[in-house]
Amino acid sequence: MSAVFRYVGRWEVFLLVVLIATFAVGSQVSRYFLTSSNVSIALASVAPLAIMALPMTLVIITGEIDISVASMIGLCSATIAVCLEQGFPVELAMLTGIFAGALAGAVNGAFVVYGGLPSLVVTIGTLALFRGVALIILEERGVTGFPDWYQEIGFGTIPGTPVPWSSLIFVACFLGFALFLHLTRGGRALYAIGNNRRATSFSGINVNRALLGVFITSGVMAGVAAIVLTAFLASARADTAIGLELNIITAVVLGGVNIFGGSGTLLGVLIAVLVLAFVRNALGLAGVTPEAQQVVTGGVLVTTLIVFGSADAIRNAWTRVLRRGGGSS
Amino acid sequence: MANEGARSNPSANPLRVVRRVLHVREVILVVAFVVICLGIALREPRFLQFSNLEQVALSACLVLIVAVGQALVIIARQIDISVGANVAVSAFLSAQWLERNPDGSVLVVLAIACFTGLVLGIGNALAVAVFRVPAIVATLGTLAIYRGGAIIIAEGRQISATALPDSYEGITDIQVAGLPLLVWLALLITIVFALIMRYTRFGRNLYALGSNPENARIAGIDERWHLGMAFAICGLLCGLVGFLWGARFGTVDSTIAPELHIETISAVVVGGVSIFGGSGTVLGAVIGALIFAVLQNGVQLLGISQFWLQAVLGGAILATVLFYSTLARRAERHERESRRRPSLARLAGASRPGRTDR
Repeated sequence: MSAVFRYVGRWEVFLLVVLIATFAVGSQVSRYFLTSSNVSIALASVAPLAIMALPMTLVIITGEIDISVASMIGLCSATIAVCLEQGFPVELAMLTGIFAGALAGAVNGAFVVYGGLPSLVVTIGTLALFRGVALIILEERGVTGFPDWYQEIGFGTIPGTPVPWSSLIFVACFLGFALFLHLTRGGRALYAIGNNRRATSFSGINVNRALLGVFITSGVMAGVAAIVLTAFLASARADTAIGLELNIITAVVLGGVNIFGGSGTLLGVLIAVLVLAFVRNALGLAGVTPEAQQVVTGGVLVTTLIVFGSADAIRNAWTRVLRRGGGSS
Repeated sequence: MANEGARSNPSANPLRVVRRVLHVREVILVVAFVVICLGIALREPRFLQFSNLEQVALSACLVLIVAVGQALVIIARQIDISVGANVAVSAFLSAQWLERNPDGSVLVVLAIACFTGLVLGIGNALAVAVFRVPAIVATLGTLAIYRGGAIIIAEGRQISATALPDSYEGITDIQVAGLPLLVWLALLITIVFALIMRYTRFGRNLYALGSNPENARIAGIDERWHLGMAFAICGLLCGLVGFLWGARFGTVDSTIAPELHIETISAVVVGGVSIFGGSGTVLGAVIGALIFAVLQNGVQLLGISQFWLQAVLGGAILATVLFYSTLARRAERHERESRRRPSLARLAGASRPGRTDR
């Protein structure tokens, strides 16, 4: 019985049911929902969020948080734009953008690790700082005129399928992150850090290096997300992705990652991202305004967490009942 | 902090007293505040003109009142990200009522705004205290719900100054004893909550819950009630600011105060409240809010490009938290050294219950 509970009670299974329900309801709401063009639109528009949800999962599992991700995307976009303005080739601009992200992530990591400061506070500071630097270097200009193949990253689909190129980038990143987090020693170390930092440190894991690495990863992925986002918007601006951090954290938490660190899986985050993408898409097709979709997203987050909390309480009560039964027999 | 008297024993020489005073974080903050003001005033004398100072004060008051609520929440080891959305909903609902009933009393508008804010605050309180959702996630969700709600209610509409009676607009012009009413109100709220946090059982319990929830529970503090109250008070103050927002800026729409959560959390943290709860004061948070208001005004006055503003604010936040952590480390080292001399430590131990503040 408890074995059944362990599998059925898993958060990922619950999310999968929600995802299937979304598809069932969505296909009833509109006959366009399951068309390939709609699916590719839904996937393409969620790509930047999905890409950033991966490093955010690692950050949150270690018990830290990175509020500055959206500002890092803005900084990377601005860097790419400035490079293009200077006449750099696009490939070099993309690399510089990713490098700027890595640098920004290193700043966050250095403050957290060497400054010994809480990441919530540090990244609130760098949220303003990075956005400020982006605004300083690009001001209010918007840079367009990307080559076709670049815009293809955001819009285009793999020939013959409804899958956008950006989803392919995401899947590649997802596989890399999932292999690292769930199958390597380094990945297990992140869970250990999130559960008990001191004990992890005493057991010979270099906590500082792991944390620094996680924050730099977050910056690098912000560079990748900036490329996808600028390609999707077909313009690079300093004020892109303002407020995206809240949606990213929402996706990660909805995916069953404990906000205090130590538990959660990337599979859950993947399903949560898909749920968010298709719920919004279905609502949009049903004629619900983006603002009302925001209410639904928030509502879904709060209700699922309340359900999650109650499910935990019920499971605990159940095991207690079982244990008591076992003791008497 | 409540034992300054116990700490300064009569044998202390004046130099030592000075050092003690400098150890109070609020004093450092006031000094920083004055230095920033002087720096701006030296470069740009217009800063000190009464009309400019008045504008700074009026802008500061709005953030400051919410920062007081945020301070209560953070001291109790929680956080409220939904403040800006709460202000938007309260401001819009109350202004909408006034628009429909132009002859209505301003007091009713005030009541509607405060009530709305309180209800939304209680919504947060329920999610955090009753349903046990971590505060940062719960208020992230309610932020989306409240902000989306505001946008749905407003339907993209803007309530502008022309649609509102002058009695409402005039609130910010009312002067009492040479200062705007708003400033007095902010001062009153600061003093009331500073006293509550320092001297009442409720306030001390919030500190206890923030510094060690487990022990506080064992000591018999009703965690649900206290956390719920902190969120409710924060919501109420947001409602009040929602009412003032319309009066101050003349126009209300659903997108006002988009960054208020960042602004207030920054003010609270710069004001010396630990993000992990349990230490810091309301007064510090208020000075933090003032410092940000002055910096913002200074950047504009000195003709620094507006694009630099965000970077300056971000740099200020990072610099202060680094400074605080250095202070904390030094204090820790000091403590360790005094522990190494047991006889001295025992002597000092009796008159050093200051640690209970943390």
